[in-house]
Amino acid sequence: MPAIVQFIVQRLAAALLTLVGAILLLFVIIQFVPGDLASILLGPRATPELRAQFAERMGLDRSIPEQIFLFFRRAVSGDLGTDVVTGRDILSIILDVLPNTLQLAGAGLLISLAFGIALGCIAALKPGSLIDTVLGVASVAFITTPAFVVAIFLLLIFSLKLHWLPVTGAGAPGDPLDRLSHLILPATALSIGWIGYLARLVRASLLEVLSEQHVRMMRAYGVPEGRIVRHFALRLALVPMVAVMGIGVGDMISNAVFVEIIFARPGIGTLIYNAILNRNFPIVQAGILFTVLTYVTCNLLVDVINALLDPRIARSLNKPA
Amino acid sequence: MATDFSRRTLMQAAAALPLLGMASQIAFGAEGEVIARIETDLKNLDPANRVGSIEDNILQATTQTLARFKPNSLEWEPDAAKTISQVSETEIDFELNPGQMFSDGYGELTADDVKFSLERFLPDAQGNKPAYADDWGALDYVEVTGKYTGKIILKNPAPALWVIGICDSSGTILSKKATTELGGKISTKVVGSGPYVLKEWKPNEHVILEANPDYKGNAPAQLKRIILKPISEWQTALLAFQAKEVTFTEVEPTAVTEVEQDPNSAVIKIDGIDYEWIGVNVEKAPLDDSKVRQAIRYGIDVDAIIAGAWSGTVSRAKTLLAPQLLGHWADAPVYQYDPEKAKALLAEAGVSDLKVTLTCLNDARTQAEAQIVQANLAEAGVTVTINALDGGAYWGMGEGDKSKDLELTIIPYSSKFDPSFQTQWFVSSQVGVWNWQRWKNAEFDKLHSEAASITDEDERARKYVRMQQLLDESASCIWITHGVHNFAHAKSVTPALLPNGVNWQLRYFKSA
Repeated sequence: MPAIVQFIVQRLAAALLTLVGAILLLFVIIQFVPGDLASILLGPRATPELRAQFAERMGLDRSIPEQIFLFFRRAVSGDLGTDVVTGRDILSIILDVLPNTLQLAGAGLLISLAFGIALGCIAALKPGSLIDTVLGVASVAFITTPAFVVAIFLLLIFSLKLHWLPVTGAGAPGDPLDRLSHLILPATALSIGWIGYLARLVRASLLEVLSEQHVRMMRAYGVPEGRIVRHFALRLALVPMVAVMGIGVGDMISNAVFVEIIFARPGIGTLIYNAILNRNFPIVQAGILFTVLTYVTCNLLVDVINALLDPRIARSLNKPA
Repeated sequence: MATDFSRRTLMQAAAALPLLGMASQIAFGAEGEVIARIETDLKNLDPANRVGSIEDNILQATTQTLARFKPNSLEWEPDAAKTISQVSETEIDFELNPGQMFSDGYGELTADDVKFSLERFLPDAQGNKPAYADDWGALDYVEVTGKYTGKIILKNPAPALWVIGICDSSGTILSKKATTELGGKISTKVVGSGPYVLKEWKPNEHVILEANPDYKGNAPAQLKRIILKPISEWQTALLAFQAKEVTFTEVEPTAVTEVEQDPNSAVIKIDGIDYEWIGVNVEKAPLDDSKVRQAIRYGIDVDAIIAGAWSGTVSRAKTLLAPQLLGHWADAPVYQYDPEKAKALLAEAGVSDLKVTLTCLNDARTQAEAQIVQANLAEAGVTVTINALDGGAYWGMGEGDKSKDLELTIIPYSSKFDPSFQTQWFVSSQVGVWNWQRWKNAEFDKLHSEAASITDEDERARKYVRMQQLLDESASCIWITHGVHNFAHAKSVTPALLPNGVNWQLRYFKSA
């Protein structure tokens, strides 16, 4: 079997194990969480009978192994059950909001890459200069400022003062312009930390590449500096970034919770958050399943891209330890 | 194909940002439209199993009841009924207006639909009851005497029935045919005959109500459309209001001044009828000693809690029932903060170095309240440990006698307009469920039972006052506030709200 195919199979198995492990862990954690859905939703109206009815309808009256078995059996066939509160199909609830979160994370990722790489390049091309120092300070500030703080400042400036962009929601379906206007601020808030992080990473990586033998050789042959950076150095400098972006996607999805809450944006983050507050565990389980699925898929893709970019990674699997 | 992102292109893209914003703003604020913020999304629209006031507000706009509250008032008038009257303590007769049509082609509203809708609140053959069964706990049956006429027969007199049952969402008249056909989908769809129809519910995004073109009643919709947007964060809701994205929202008391600075906005303030108090577990030693409980009552500065945690925006409660309610105890004593007296009472009880746990919700305001209590009681020599819990864990104390380990607890409860709704949580049978003080009193239980089934208002009021006196003597409850509701609205909109501030009468909202 070619090394790359073997590598993909191994990564797929690892992704599957991660998925199952996360869900198992969730089932265990749920057992230790106090409170129940009926009490939270109905307060003093939640009689013991109603609590028992809710627990039964959510399948929480069964043993944990039975709950886990049923969950996976249903999940494999695409059935995540019915929400006991709204009576709606849980899969359709998830699929209603998932695109919003994916759009948000995707836009956040694009903004991070665009600005992170650009700022990293500028800093690397003028090492030790004032602009390098300023960008260094700014990058650290970006990394250390929480997304929700950035979100509030963005809202105050661009929505309240300038009235350029809307505060809440995801925009009207079928109106790309409206949806885009609702995406800009949340995606920016989400990406700001990663802009700083990528800028530092690209700067360090690019500086290393620019000091290598082959680059000095190109300079000696009179290849213009701009061409060296764009066509040779940057390509090499971006390789370590690909690996980091796998983690970046996971970070974007988890941070999306805060951003979605602040911007009152429908998404899987707010769905899981509200479900946890309400102890609506079937929704939590389904939401986590999709989140982990997205995360492991992205990581898998990143691993494969890395292996394709650097065949030594795939080949290293066949080497004895 | 190569794309050239020049500086000019970037500048053009940046310049387009305001245009994007303008495009999105044009969509809002259309004439005859109100955009109201709701704190959470809809959950269950079945009147018998609804979850909160958001469902109440939508049901009241999209369906009819036999009688409805007038705008901003607890006075009622006939709604689906042409006439409705209490002919005896246990019989209410009604006659419906003919020609009132259900939406979605489900036909005319008849007395059969009334019987079906009200009797849904009775236990089924297996004894299972819906969540709101108690609202119609006095109902025996509904007798249909004609296509449009019927009698509501009660098992016992129920003076609260008019405000809790008939005029409230528990009195919603559903289409029997639609409800039977829809089955479980009744939780997400409304087939009503009210002035609005539920046009669209896009979970977590919006709920759209549109004027019902087939409405035949005497209070038609005043607006073309009402859009309800779930925004959980108060600060985001305020920003959305200030950015003119929503035209009506409840705001925190501390935001009122900020809102009032905008000449196009106004604020409605409604004193609440809810009740927040510090419950003292009378079974847990040494709190089982009345002197220790009195010491704690003197050792807590409620005025400081109001000033610190509520920024002085609410008035202090001195008893269970708010001044707007029947049975309010106007002469209830107000206990002033007196740490020296608290120390003396503790010494009398022979208690020193008292350590207690104060359990509360983990929201910012409640935690601020807890910290003030902690500082107050420290002055009286009592060490308080704060145990702040999220809503799930906190309300879980109402299950399986978990409340037996509580000591002091900050408890916020919401109210209804009849005092029996408030007093029911303090009876002995609620110990182990929602009576977290675990205080039992036979006289209180008897009075609660009697007051709930007599129709003489003066007599009822006397009984409720006596019940509050008993609670006061127990020193098991330290009342904090009945709360307040502040609503920010565009001056172009005239809202209507019931005097509790919780129920929005969307059907009466209109353009100014």
